[in-house]
Amino acid sequence: MRKKLIWFALLCSTVFGALLATTTTSHAAEKTYTIGTDITYAPFDFQGTDGKYTGIDIDLIKAIAKEENMKIDLKPVGFNAAVQAVEANQMDGVIAGMTITKERKQQFDFSDPYYYAGEVMAVAKGSKVKSFKDLRGKNVALKVGTQGAAYAKSIQKKYGFKITEFDQSNDMYNDVVTGNSVAAFEDYPVMAYGIQNGIKLKIVTKPAKGGNYGFAVKKGENPELLTKFNAGLKALKKNGQYDKIVAKYLGKSSVAKATATAKKQDNSLWGLVKQNTGALGGGLLQTLYLTVISIILATIFGVIIGLMQVVPAKWANWLSSTLIYIFRGMPLLVLALFIYIGVPNLTGNKISAFLAGIITLTLNEGAYTAAFVSGGIRAVDNGQMEAARSLGLPYGKAMRRVILPQGIKIMIPSFINQFIITLKDTSILSVIGILELTQTGKIIIARNLQGFKVWTIIAIMYIVIITLLTWLSKAVERRMNK
Amino acid sequence: MNAAENNNRVVVTDLVKNYGSNEVLKGLNLTVKNNEVVCMIGPSGSGKSTFLRCLNKLEDPTSGSVIVDGYDISDNKTNMNKVREGIGMVFQHFNLFPNLTVLENVMLAPIELKKADKEVATKEARALLDEVGLAEKADAYPASLSGGQEQRVAIARALAMHPDIMLFDEPTSALDPEMVGDVLDVMKKLAKQGMTMIVVTHEMGFAKEVADRVVFMADGHIMEEGDPQQLFDHPQNPRTQDFLRKVLNA
Repeated sequence: MRKKLIWFALLCSTVFGALLATTTTSHAAEKTYTIGTDITYAPFDFQGTDGKYTGIDIDLIKAIAKEENMKIDLKPVGFNAAVQAVEANQMDGVIAGMTITKERKQQFDFSDPYYYAGEVMAVAKGSKVKSFKDLRGKNVALKVGTQGAAYAKSIQKKYGFKITEFDQSNDMYNDVVTGNSVAAFEDYPVMAYGIQNGIKLKIVTKPAKGGNYGFAVKKGENPELLTKFNAGLKALKKNGQYDKIVAKYLGKSSVAKATATAKKQDNSLWGLVKQNTGALGGGLLQTLYLTVISIILATIFGVIIGLMQVVPAKWANWLSSTLIYIFRGMPLLVLALFIYIGVPNLTGNKISAFLAGIITLTLNEGAYTAAFVSGGIRAVDNGQMEAARSLGLPYGKAMRRVILPQGIKIMIPSFINQFIITLKDTSILSVIGILELTQTGKIIIARNLQGFKVWTIIAIMYIVIITLLTWLSKAVERRMNK
Repeated sequence: MNAAENNNRVVVTDLVKNYGSNEVLKGLNLTVKNNEVVCMIGPSGSGKSTFLRCLNKLEDPTSGSVIVDGYDISDNKTNMNKVREGIGMVFQHFNLFPNLTVLENVMLAPIELKKADKEVATKEARALLDEVGLAEKADAYPASLSGGQEQRVAIARALAMHPDIMLFDEPTSALDPEMVGDVLDVMKKLAKQGMTMIVVTHEMGFAKEVADRVVFMADGHIMEEGDPQQLFDHPQNPRTQDFLRKVLNA
């Protein structure tokens, strides 16, 4: 038991050590600004075929950083994750096609506007819907937290339509293409760019009620960053670089180029795999890292908590029950967001998404592991412990030599099951911007809009690694049963 | 080794055991001398097994005093692991460790408690298995043994720590009838060697033949005790008479 406590202490210190390390590096002498961007918001933020993030936002912030001699570290994590990370002081700024609004000004300080975008309504290509009046009683697809969504909601009562909200632009478009919704609301440049690139929608209204895009920092933080952004933006507008950047993505020539590339692209399943080998491989590797590290830590954590559940000590039983209750009871998604967004808000310390992901999985999967570990131990006949103790063996020795070897045999199928669940659960961590397999899929789709095919590829990849993991576990099980 | 001056191995005084509001043992007094074989008989639910389990603290006495081998085990400061090394216990359902071989079952305690190095422990364990007639099963796992064989291994295992006292909790109740004889033979042999034994049993023949004293329990009380001749042939207490009439005529 003492050895196990030492392990637990080691685990804790590793986690806290990592936390501290993250904090100290971010306070290094020459400040590097961490800037969050969206990942699925072409033409402002998206991943190019070469796997690098590109778009108006990306080019603009890079040019401004160069102009102002700033060091920046771009974190393409998605709009929601980026905004929340800035609120939680996890990041310094966000540039993500973010419209300046009154509500947002209460949480953020904005730069001067760098782009004006009106809202448009888009419908399926053959649709009869021509204006807002045709929406009555119908369903409309929106993207969470966007200006388009706000605009649609402001006219919802007047025109009497229903709303479904999505996290990803592509999901919103597809909802209209498949006919679940009749229309989507989106910023004009984004919609126009998407249609150029093959989305089967058409724009039916004039840009209206638009807003200005601004670069944002947390209210009261990083004022010098805002000043530099404004100065840089001014300079770029003056020397013509700003216009060049916008034209690169929205100009006439860009349309032709985009159409040409879209046609050239091999959108067969195999073609998609070949184009995205790098991204898919990277996502797969990240998923495997997350899985392996989480399985190891969750097993250690779970076995310790599980043992605490059965030892004859009231405080340990209580602590164990409470931990299992909390971490098994909380949805993984909520736990991930709480640890990544909430904990830094409480402690003031940054924490990397990867570390937050590992902690999330360790706590959640560990709680499940603890439950079946204690169950497995309890399933061993009482007489075994009595016989061992009546020989004079102390509790710990009886546990280690007699009870655990029998209990572990009972637990093995549950362990294998839990490993597979852990692997699948890593996909939920895409919500905090970890570039694992699922997130990789979302990003590829944001660029090429081949949702069905890309999800097929991703699904096959999961099945393959789950099969391998199952074989491996069964092989271990057979060896242990010998 | 640690026997009290007056040669008493076990001294139980006013032992009470409650499960919640249910009083199972209602103030028992019993003394067992060195080399004595005591058989405890009585109807099911009379508290015999609970009494036995109080002697090595598998059950915590509610009140009263239990002194075994000179150790006061009702005192929470007493190191029970130490005391238990001197008390062998044999269970109704054998409780062999299924994850260990027969030999490892017998060797486990001596090695884990550093009473002997591996070579000596192995030699002793084999000798004990020979003693109970199972030398050839040393490398088998318990699952491949018959009930009677399992129980004899359990006895060997309990003897491995060289106990001063052996407790038997209905050792033959879970056995097929044809297996009972082998186990009882081992126990008789032990008794002849002078082992102090307390045996909870329904085997009246064994009690008559081997016991120095028979204790009859009912409803959490010791109703009557005496040498086997006297208790079986001339029971005094009406409950004893009633019980014996039922079991002996069955």
